[in-house]
Order: sequence, then structure tokens, then C-alpha cells
Amino acid sequence: MAEGFDIDHLAKLARLSLTAEEKALYSSQLSQILGHFQALADADLPATIDDARVVDEAALRSDEPGPVLGAAAVTRIAPASRDGQISVPRVVDDES
Amino acid sequence: MSNVPSDWEVVIGLEVHVQLRTRAKVFASSPWGFGKEPNEQVDPVVLGLPGTLPVVNREAVEKAILFGLVVGAEIPERCAWDRKNYFYPDNPKNYQLTQKDFPVVVGGQVEIELPGASRNVMGEHKFIRIHHAHLEEDVGKLSHAGSGSLVDYNRAGVPLLEIVTEPDLRSSAEAEAFLRSLVAMLTQAGVADCDMEKGQLRCDCNVSVRRRGAEKLGTRTETKNLNSISSVRDTVIYETARQIRELEAGRAITQETRGWNAELARGYVLRDKEDAHDYRYFPDPDIPTLKISRETVARLAKQVPENLYDRQRRYVEKLGLPYTAASVLVNDRALAEWFEAAVAAHPANPSGIANLVANDLLRDLAASAGAAGAFDEAAPAPVSLASCPIKPAQLAGLVKLTDDGVISKQQAKEVFAEMFKTGRDAAAIVDAKGLRQNSDTGELEKIVQEVIADPAVAKSIAEYRAGNEKAINALKGPIMKRTQGKANPVLIDQLLRKFLA
Repeated sequence: MAEGFDIDHLAKLARLSLTAEEKALYSSQLSQILGHFQALADADLPATIDDARVVDEAALRSDEPGPVLGAAAVTRIAPASRDGQISVPRVVDDES
Repeated sequence: MSNVPSDWEVVIGLEVHVQLRTRAKVFASSPWGFGKEPNEQVDPVVLGLPGTLPVVNREAVEKAILFGLVVGAEIPERCAWDRKNYFYPDNPKNYQLTQKDFPVVVGGQVEIELPGASRNVMGEHKFIRIHHAHLEEDVGKLSHAGSGSLVDYNRAGVPLLEIVTEPDLRSSAEAEAFLRSLVAMLTQAGVADCDMEKGQLRCDCNVSVRRRGAEKLGTRTETKNLNSISSVRDTVIYETARQIRELEAGRAITQETRGWNAELARGYVLRDKEDAHDYRYFPDPDIPTLKISRETVARLAKQVPENLYDRQRRYVEKLGLPYTAASVLVNDRALAEWFEAAVAAHPANPSGIANLVANDLLRDLAASAGAAGAFDEAAPAPVSLASCPIKPAQLAGLVKLTDDGVISKQQAKEVFAEMFKTGRDAAAIVDAKGLRQNSDTGELEKIVQEVIADPAVAKSIAEYRAGNEKAINALKGPIMKRTQGKANPVLIDQLLRKFLA
């Protein structure tokens, strides 16, 4: 946690199973990445920098329905399917 | 309604998810609608396939802004989208596009009306503050079969407005009243249809209790995914009782996520998805921050309909309607506008028109159309006025005939039924059926004088002359009988008073 993150927790959230070597490697790389962000945060930037990423309403799409893939195409790219639906291991949060 | 002990107070906040009325999805052009075969309303953007980019639907943004204007909220100059990261198969991209820090709507309030002591008495009014509302995408639908689960992504990407209240609600009745009011505002502004059967409005309900007078809020629980007003009401009642029981037994409330089993009328703890709350939000790099022009806000402000309670106050105070009729009319904007069109054609008697609309017209419309289920199963379903055989001016015509004494109120019912059946004008029906009341004073005067001369009514006449006003009514029956019910009651009354004076 010294670098401000917990590699085990992050690995779990990302559904990654890491070896001790990988944990050491990624911890060091992640520290570097966070270091870059800290450098950005410390930089003296104009307050309006966000304008580079601002669009007006002309960038919106009109509410016109377009084509769809169709269930056959959708299920074809899924690892498993049944009756036009994508099949996954059972996930439930109903009353048990 | 609720059995909250007087030394306890319940505090409720709601998160209401509403599907906005658009044709295409919120970040993709895929159409959406209820009742389609699974995965038939999905395109590559919905699935987040490589190489695709989301683009925001203008109509979804405008519907969200319109909602904000309806509740008097602030529409910030900028709004932005974030990724909410979690692994769950209802979500094809492993993140949901939502607005965490810069929502499209900030603040606002919803006026609510609590039930009165009886149906014809208006209850207390309160304002419930809105914290914010953000525009996000709905997720897919899971169904469970045997050892596996099946995923249908038709719902994924449907525009969803999440409306978050401040913890201002203090009872199950207030929660119920809030949702009624909110649904009316959303549907009347055309923002959403709020059809419960189609899952177009779902609620998360935060409940905590505290000793009355305490300032600090108690630990709250969140019951998720309630899909009807009655479920929200029942959840509040259940959760309040459970929490008070726990605290009075000296146990602490655990901050937890719960589900509601409507069939068994009980709540349950949701098996905690591990780290479910660690969503690692970050700004979505695919969707730029959106600047909303003040011109757009001004244009949409013109579409905001009259607030239903402002309308109700106007009907009662300016038009003199009884509360019962006013409250029925204002719940349905089309019905209220229909009523106002009729009043415009005969401004002299709004109450007479309101009574026919709120009672006879609604009853016959409901009977002639199978009404669809709304989120609020207790409220009358909106009726379709499009197929109403009677036009507002025609109804006004009927009321005018009654007011002018051409037909009696009793006959008006008969004429109304005929109008609803045939769509003909009241006057034409009155003439065709020979219902026109006898207003020929000369003939009526003769009959009145004959009846007065009848010794059988002498006692009533004496009583009337002695000051008993009501005794005059005993003379009206025989006069009506002799005119086969066609005499104008107003005229009979006038003539009787004249001859007996």
C-alpha cells in the first residue's frame, strides 16, 4: 500500500490471478504510471484546459433508429448461447 | 397506514430509474422497445465491440433537460460521462456509462400531495428536493435457468435517467405520494411513459430510522430494484419496522443492500457481490464533455406543461371546481386539456362540465378501452381521448342545454349516453327524442294553477305560506306528472312562487 494502491485488491477487481513476480512487476509499473499523473497534477496548467475535450450539441446524434445485428449474429460471437440468448455461468442475487 | 412508534422517525431517500421516451438507444442508434425477441435490438456499439464509439442521443439529453426544467432544477453548462466499472454479465462492456461528477440536472423539487382525511378533502402538500438526475445507459436482462444464466441485451443501452432525491421523505405515504407526483410530471411532459409492466420505472429505496429529535441520520439500508409504487410503500413499512425492532433489541443496523420479495411481502439481504461498491469511476475517454447551450434550455422551457398542482389550485380557486373533480382531471394532462377546451366553449359552468368529464366520460372511456398498466397500479390508467366519440364542444353543448333548463339533469345523463354511443350533438339527440322541456309559460301556467287549486295540496300550500320553504316541493311532483316530466323545473319553481306569493 506504500505507493497508494493495493496490488492484491486491484488484481481481484480486475479478475486477474497474479504470481509473486507479476505482482512485483506490475506494482513497479503502476507506481510509475501514477507518478506520471502526479507530475501532470503538479504542472501549472491553465484552468480552461478541459475545453479541448468539450463539444457542443452539434456533436450529438439524432434519435434515428439504425440497423441491428440480429440475435443470430449476436449469439454467434458469444462463447455459448441458447434460444437466442447468451449463456453464462449462473449468477444470482435473488432470495436464497 | 404505518405503525411507526411516535418516538421514532423514518428517513427515506429514493433513486428512481426512468427509461426516457426515445426511439433509439442513448449512445447507439439501435432501436429499443418492449416485447421484442431476445438480442434483436442490439448493435456493435451496444455490445462495445472493438472499433465502436458511443455518440450521445440528442433526444435523450433533451428529455433529461426537460425533466430538470419540470422540477425547477439547474441545468449546468456542462455535463460529462464516466465509466462505472464492474464485471457482471448484464453489462456487455464491463462498465456502465453514467454521469458521476457532472450530471445533466442539479437540484429541483417535486411538490407532493398527501392523502386527505377523505376522498373529497385535499391532503397536506410538501416539497421533496431532488439532489440531481443523471443520464446513463440501462443494462441487459438476466434470466436464470438451471445451472446457467441467460442474457438478453435488448435493454442494454436504453436511455435511463436516474433521479436521486434528498432524504426528505418521512413516511411510506410520502414515498407513495412522491412517486405518484413524479410519474404524473414525467408522463405529462412526455419525458417518459413510466409503464410498470414494461419495467420502465424502477426504484432503489434508502431507509433509516432515528429517535425523534435526533439530528444524526441512522445507518441506512438500500433496497434495490422495486418496480411498483406498492413495492416501495411495502418496503418502507417493512424496513422501518425491522430496523426499529433491531435497535430496540440493542442490535446495530448493518449498512447493506437488500432485495424485496413482493410475493412473500418481505425483504432479504442481497448476497454481497464482492467489492460491488469499488466501481473505479473515471471519465469516459470516448465521450467528450457536452456543453449545453442556454438557447436549448430556453427552447425546452417552453415545452414544460403547467405543474399539476398549479393546475389543481387554478381549477379550485379560479374555476370553482370541487377538489374531488379537480384532482381527477389534473392527473391526466390530455384529460385536463380536453376539459379546458369544453370550458372554453361554455365558460359559464366549469363545475358542470367537470362533473360530466370526471364521472360519466371517464367511466365510459374506461369501459370502452382496456387500459394499460402503469407503474402505479392503484391509480386509474390514463384513458385514450383520441378515440373519444364526444368532442369537448359537444359536451359543452350538453351542459349548456341543462343550464338553460332545456333538459333536466336526469335527462342529461340519458343524452350523454346517447352522445357517447353515436357522437351526435346533444341538441340533435334532444330534438330526436322529444326531450325538450316544456318552457311554454302559458300552458305551464294553466297546469300550475290547476294543481294549486287541487284540495289535496292545500296543506302543503298552507305550510309554505307559514314559512316552510320546503313545502313547495310537494307541489312540483304533480306538475311534473301532468307534463310527462317535460316541464322546466326552474320555470315551475318560478311560477309556483309567483302564484303563491
